[in-house]
Amino acid sequence: MFQPHSFLWHYLWVAPNVLLAVLALSLWRRGLYGEFRSFVVYAWFRFLQWAILYPIDLIPSIDAKNYWRVLWVSLLIEALIVFVLISEFFAEVFGSYPAVAKFGKYLIRGAGALLVTIATVVAAYAPIDNTYWLIPACHILQEALNVVSCGLISLLLLSAAYFRLTWKHGAFGIALGMGISASVHLATWAVMANGGLADKRHLLDMTNMATNHACVLIWFYYLLVPQRVSTKSAVPLPEHNLELWNRELERLLQQ
Amino acid sequence: MTLAIIIVIAAFLSLVCILGLTISRSLQVSAGHDLAGKIHPLDVEAFRNLLSPSDDAFLRQHLSASDFRLVQRARLRAMAAYVQEAGRNAAVLIRIGQAAMAAADPRTAEAAQQLVNEALLVRRNAGFALLKIYVALTWPTSGPAASSVFDGYQQLSRSAMLLGRLQNPAVPVRMSART
Repeated sequence: MFQPHSFLWHYLWVAPNVLLAVLALSLWRRGLYGEFRSFVVYAWFRFLQWAILYPIDLIPSIDAKNYWRVLWVSLLIEALIVFVLISEFFAEVFGSYPAVAKFGKYLIRGAGALLVTIATVVAAYAPIDNTYWLIPACHILQEALNVVSCGLISLLLLSAAYFRLTWKHGAFGIALGMGISASVHLATWAVMANGGLADKRHLLDMTNMATNHACVLIWFYYLLVPQRVSTKSAVPLPEHNLELWNRELERLLQQ
Repeated sequence: MTLAIIIVIAAFLSLVCILGLTISRSLQVSAGHDLAGKIHPLDVEAFRNLLSPSDDAFLRQHLSASDFRLVQRARLRAMAAYVQEAGRNAAVLIRIGQAAMAAADPRTAEAAQQLVNEALLVRRNAGFALLKIYVALTWPTSGPAASSVFDGYQQLSRSAMLLGRLQNPAVPVRMSART
């Protein structure tokens, strides 16, 4: 059941990518393309990546090396799209508040530089355990990319929660899905890139594919299901505190 | 393999953190109506005394070095409690301000925007001040700069007062209610 080319394996590779294309199309048709432009680009790219890699994997006449070559190039492009998406999140969450807009910029630059350094160290220590170098190189690249994306998304969610910054429902859902995906992928690729569970790699692959599927469903929920109407009515400030504040203000004026 | 184990643990913690934040976010949405009750009054006068450089100088002059460090540690811990409380109140005011930003009255919306910006500054400065206080606790020879939190909190109080007045014009703001 969990072996490569089983029904579940085919389903978990096909369904999330087809669903992503459906989601991108739905966003387009609902006129939400402008609001989630980078995510729509990401969704189409993931679909295209699958549309190329899936047949390469299935057709026996195509050299297996081609699969790894295409995967390597597509990973680099995917990384670029993901980092643009994350930087847009930072700009959107912090940019609406002048008091922390600059802080948000410093945060993404500083954390980005630190995470890239960590990812480089992690990649440098990973072993090359296959005669065809591109296979471990792809594993290491995925591990390094997930170090950066997982770190940045966690930091974004944590800092937004610390400052109580409001998110758009859809944007939060995208960040949530990407955060879950990056965390699980980071763990599995770290095990694979460091030569762990060599005889059970199909289980790690299945975990990654199932996580992808779950994340696509999360994106469907957050992007297409209407948001529960939250009461935006003004919350009155408590009177007793106003009195206290007034007392303090009076003291200040009398200084 | 040690490196892989460390990364797996980090990834697990990150996942727990992300899921925890998602749950707390949905709980915050449902508990939005009870925000005002979450503000804890802060004794600004006592806070001001803790930050006073003259108090620092007096204690330094009249106490031995070891006694001064002991007293200074206690003052720093009290300062940390005040800074934490100011930060918590700022967090509540951010949410109150965000709710008021959608008000139809442009003056209320503008006051709410100002309140949110000032509360964000206090929250940011409170984070930095707490870090400085915890570092200073290890070698308490001089007081850390928590004055930015104090100044910001006073400004925040004024903005909250303005928003309160705009939201509830019927409630008289008694300037002489000194107790």
